[in-house]
Order: sequence, then structure tokens, then C-alpha cells
Amino acid sequence: MSGKRYAVGGAFFMAILVLPPVLRWMESSMIGVMLGQIPVLVVAGWLFGFALPRRFIEWLNCWNENGLPGLLLAISVLTFWLLPRSVDASLNEPLLRLAKWMMLPLLVGMPLSLSWKRLHPIARGIVHTNAISMLVVMGWLYLSVPVRVCNSYLLSQQNALGRMMIALAIVLAAFWSLRLFVATTPNEPTTR
Amino acid sequence: MEANVRKMTALYMFVSGIAILLMMVLGLLMLLAQGKMIPLGQDTFYEMMTAHGTFMVGAAAFAASAVMWYFLRQYVRLSFPIFVTHFVLFLTGAVMTAISIFVFRFAGAWTFLYPLPAMSAGMWGKTGASLYLIGMLLIGVSFLLLYLDTSRAIIREYGSLGHGLGWPQILGKVKGYGPPPTVVASTMVSIVNLVSLTVGASVLVMSLINLFQPSIEMDPLLAKNLIYAFGHIFANSVIYMGVIVVYEILPKYTNRPWKSYKIFLIAWNMSTLFTIIVYPHHLLMDFVMPKWMLIIGQVFSYLNGLPVLVVTAFGALMIVYRSGIEWDMASSFIFLSMFGWVAGVIPAIADATIVINHVMHNTKWVPGHFHMYMGVGAVSMLFGFMYYFIRGNERKIGYADMVSFWVYTVFFLSLCGTFLLSGKVSAPRRWAVHFPEWVPYDRMGAVFAVVIIAAVTVFLYRFFVSVIIVQAKQNIEVGPRA
Ligand code: HEM
Repeated sequence: MSGKRYAVGGAFFMAILVLPPVLRWMESSMIGVMLGQIPVLVVAGWLFGFALPRRFIEWLNCWNENGLPGLLLAISVLTFWLLPRSVDASLNEPLLRLAKWMMLPLLVGMPLSLSWKRLHPIARGIVHTNAISMLVVMGWLYLSVPVRVCNSYLLSQQNALGRMMIALAIVLAAFWSLRLFVATTPNEPTTR
Repeated sequence: MEANVRKMTALYMFVSGIAILLMMVLGLLMLLAQGKMIPLGQDTFYEMMTAHGTFMVGAAAFAASAVMWYFLRQYVRLSFPIFVTHFVLFLTGAVMTAISIFVFRFAGAWTFLYPLPAMSAGMWGKTGASLYLIGMLLIGVSFLLLYLDTSRAIIREYGSLGHGLGWPQILGKVKGYGPPPTVVASTMVSIVNLVSLTVGASVLVMSLINLFQPSIEMDPLLAKNLIYAFGHIFANSVIYMGVIVVYEILPKYTNRPWKSYKIFLIAWNMSTLFTIIVYPHHLLMDFVMPKWMLIIGQVFSYLNGLPVLVVTAFGALMIVYRSGIEWDMASSFIFLSMFGWVAGVIPAIADATIVINHVMHNTKWVPGHFHMYMGVGAVSMLFGFMYYFIRGNERKIGYADMVSFWVYTVFFLSLCGTFLLSGKVSAPRRWAVHFPEWVPYDRMGAVFAVVIIAAVTVFLYRFFVSVIIVQAKQNIEVGPRA
């Protein structure tokens, strides 16, 4: 697929997200924001990553040894936007909403897509195992924190999100483990 | 490179050996205290118990992982930097846990059962508990790195973990034998420990959060499930790593190959699954557990160890039978370990039966079974490996060693006997203070422990002088991939 198509794909995802009914529907629930909007914005950025010109990617690669800087950048920015304070702010303050809509695709999705293949398989394994165990921890937190962490959502929403996160951890664990059992061709980092 | 690998492996074995010896001394002190022969405060007893449990399981797993790594690298391309990182991270975590126990007086046992770390009744503070939990987390990460590397290397060489477990041969798609037994065992251990460490990381982080923010509580039953899923699988994996020694050494000694035939592969596949799902046998007393989980715990405990145990014990007997094998220290330890494994499983299976468990659980019967399984089974495999490692450059292995071997065998079994008998007279496990009726067994145990410690000192001394002081003449394991 050509780079342009990826760019169109990414833009398409973002366009769908901003459609007023979709936006309202997603932002009306905590699950919608945390497990709908944020991941889709990241996926859009991931697709944009494929659309970048080759020369630019090569230049970026000089700054992205083994994909680790890209991964760190993505994780740090994602962490910020997962904080309850940031979730609230992105719903109530237009400037921060804009920042979130720019940063999640450009500073999370895109660095991830540029770094993922360059990461050593062990680093990828760490991301997988950590994602599973920390999703469980976050799910448990949302279930057991006795107060509302977001002003915008009720405790019941928070609990529902907790349950979803634990379910998602189980699904991801099953999916990633199954993949290890399916015969593949070896998957080493591209340029090392 | 070969020299570095040998040096690093020797370092692993030496550090673990010293840790095991020191923890045996703590075990002796605990027995002396229970036998009222020394005045040891109850708080000190529980600190020692925590250290003994943590470092015995930790050191045995650490050494066993080195054994697995050492042999597995003959077949797949493993990363040496990861081997070194594992060493450094593990030691950092171990030092943190040691500080938490001996400086900050953490004494919540190696099972860190929720909510004990946060509710010490004034015995230790947040610093102690958090240092312990973070230390455990680091140890977990160090093992995680190693297993990610072994899984990666196995997938790269064989295509998938399923292939590493010999699925194509089991399903009849490929004729002939499966991957070498070492690869099969390493695949199994990598799988079960990736599961256990992921679960362990979750529950450790939850415990840490609860420690600093007590209003965020965990469901205690969920916590117990997660902790035992982690602890059981991890402790169990020690023997599955150690058994690689049997698969590697016996063929060399007997000049007969050990092949992965179909039954062997099926057995390892069964144990892979069962090891992950049997942990509820630690919760048989928790009446609120769903009944089906307890039944799984009982039924699969019967099935869990058996397949691998049977194919290995039977295979070992077959390969040795009329082979004219030379009985030196390494091969003797290997044989002892098979015996310890088989014998240790019997009281374990008895205890995994729900009706028996209601009587025996939390008595010293339980340490009785796992000391046999770990001490005579797993740890013998490690000593066997050490002697194999120094083969050729051993400095005068002689009577002292052989006598120590027999002393170790007889007295460790006797020590386990005193634990089992204490269980029979209803001595609970984990009690610092014993009733007079239980004391004779503790005193007998203490005497046996002294002798065991002397024997282990001989083994470690021999290893030390043969490998560290004398710059060993290279006697290198070179496989097709090394
Ligand atoms: C000289 C050898 C040893 C002696 C004297 C000894 C002694 C003891 C004693 C007295 C206890 C406490 C029992 C109770 O609950 O009252 C104990 C517990 C334990 N031992 Fe040993 N032990 C020895 C070797 C080993 C070995 C080789 C291992 C494993 C590799 C091991 C692993 C454990 C574990 C995991 C516990 C449970 C701690 C707990 O309940 O939290 N021990 N040992």
C-alpha cells in the first residue's frame, strides 16, 4: 500500500472521531474516551507514520537508535493523557483538547510506528508483558478507588472502565500468547 | 566468549551456592529456636523465615536458570548481555530484599500475602515493606528478561513455542523425534514463567499501591489467587529447569542419546498446562473459592508432576541400565535428585487431596514435602551440575566428597522425616514457639541440619577451589550453535 493511502486511512479515523454524534457518544462515557478515543487517535498516528517520506524516516532513525527513544517518547506522552486530570482538562478546555488531538497521533502513534519494528524482540516482549500486567493494575485501581478520579464521570463509569480494562488484559494476553504458538518466520530487528 | 560464559555460569553457581548455605544456617537457627535450644525473639524468627523462604526459592531458581541457559545455548542463539543483566538485576533485587529484612525488619514471609505487608502491627514500617516488594519486582524483571530471551531464541530457531514443545511430532505432521529435551524443557519453563511473572508484577504493584494508600483495597481472595499463581508456578519451575541437567549429563555419561519421543513430548505438554492451573491446591482451605477451582486444584495436582516425572525417572533408569555408567559425584547427585523428586511428590499429592488437606494443611507436613522435593530433588540437580562443571579440573575429588554426598542424602531425608513427623503430631508450620510435644522433632532436625551444612560446605569448597582459584583448564561445552 502506498504512503498516501496510509495517510488517508489515518485522516479517515480522525475524521470519524470528530463527527459530532461520534464525539458526543465517545465522550459521554469513560470507556469511550479511555478505550475508544485514545486508542483510535494512536492508531491514526501509527498510520501517519507509514506515510512519511523515506528520507525523513532515515533522518529520524539517526535519533532513534533501536527504537528506544521513540518508545520512551510515546509512553511518556501516553501516560500524561491517561492521567484523570488530563482526561478532565481535555474535555473542558479547548486548548488542551487540541493538544491531546495533536499529541496522541503525532507523539504517540507516529513514534510507535517508526520504532516498533526497530525494537529488539525482547523490548517488544517487555512492552507486551508490561501492558498486560499494568492494564490489570489500572483496572483494579478503577474498581477499588473509593472516590471519583475524574470530575466528568460517575463512580459507576469508573468501575465499568475497570472491568473493561481487566477484560482487555485477558484478551490481549490470550491473543499475544496464541501468536507465540503459531509458527512464524523469525522476526529480528530490521536495522541494528 | 566461551571463557566468559564459563566464568559467568560459575559465578551464578557460586553466588547461589553461598546463598543456599547461609540460608541453611538460618534454617538451623529456626529449628534451634523452635526446639527451645536458643532464645531467638519471635520477630527475629519471622525475619529469618522470610529470608530463608525468599532466598532459598530465589537462589535455587537463579542457579537453575543458569543451568538452563548454559545448556540451551548449545541449540539456540541466546544473548550473553541478557545473561549478565539477569545476574546484575537479580542481585540488586536480592540486596534490596535483604536490606528490607535485616535492616528494616520486614517479616511478612516470602509469600507477602495481602494485607500483611501493610499491616505489621508495628513490627516493620512502610520502608521495609516497600523495599521488599520492589526488590521482588526487580527479581521478577530479571527473570522476565531471561525468559523473553529464551522464548525469542526458541521461536527464531524452531518457528514457534508450539514447535519447541514438539507439536508437529505429536500431531504426526513431522516424523521422527522432537527438539532436544533441553529445548522442550526450556520452552515449557519459559511459557509458565512468563505467565507467573506477569501475574506477579500485577499483584506486587497492587500491594505497593495499597501500602502507600491503604484506602485503595484489594479483594483478599483475588490477591491470594494471584500470589499463589505466581509463587507456585515460579517455585515449581525450579525443578523443570534443573531437570535439564539430567537430560544433558546422563547421555554423556552413558554414551546413549536421550531423544524426545512422542510420549516424552506429550508429558511435557501436559505439565505445561497443568503447572499453570494447579495453584488452587494452595487455597483448598478457602471455602469461599469456587468449588470447580478447588476440584481442578486437586485433580490436576495428581496429574501435574506425574507425566514429566514418570518419563524422566523411567528414561533415566532405561538410559543407565547396563550402560556401565561411571558413578562419580555428578552422576550420583543426578540419581539422588530423581529419587528426591519422586519421593517428594508422594506427600505432596497426599496433601493436595481435599479431605487430607483439611487435616494436614498448615502443619509442618507441608515444609516436609517441599524440603524433600527442593532439597533432595532440585538442589541435588544443582550440586550435580556443579560437579559436572568442574569435571576434568577438579582438585582431588575424593573420599571427603563421596562421604559428604552420602551424609547429605541420609541426613536431608532424615530432616524431611522430622518435618513430616512434626506434621503428624499436628505441629503447625510457621510457628516460632512450639509446644513441648513438638520439641523433640525440632531438636533432631537441628542436629541433622548441622551435618547437612557441613556436607554442603565441602561441596562448595570443592567447587570454589576447582573453578575460581585454579584458573580452570577449559573444558568447554561446544554445541552446533555455540
Ligand atoms: C539444612 C537445610 C534446611 C533447614 C534446616 C531448613 C529449615 C527450615 C525451617 C525450620 C523452616 C520453617 C518451618 C516452619 O514453618 O516451621 C523452613 C521453611 C522453608 N524452607 Fe527450609 N530448610 C532447609 C533447606 C531448605 C532448602 C534447600 C529449601 C529450598 C531450596 C528450603 C526452602 C524453604 C521454604 C520455601 C520454606 C517456607 C518458608 C515459609 O513458610 O514462609 N529450605 N526451612
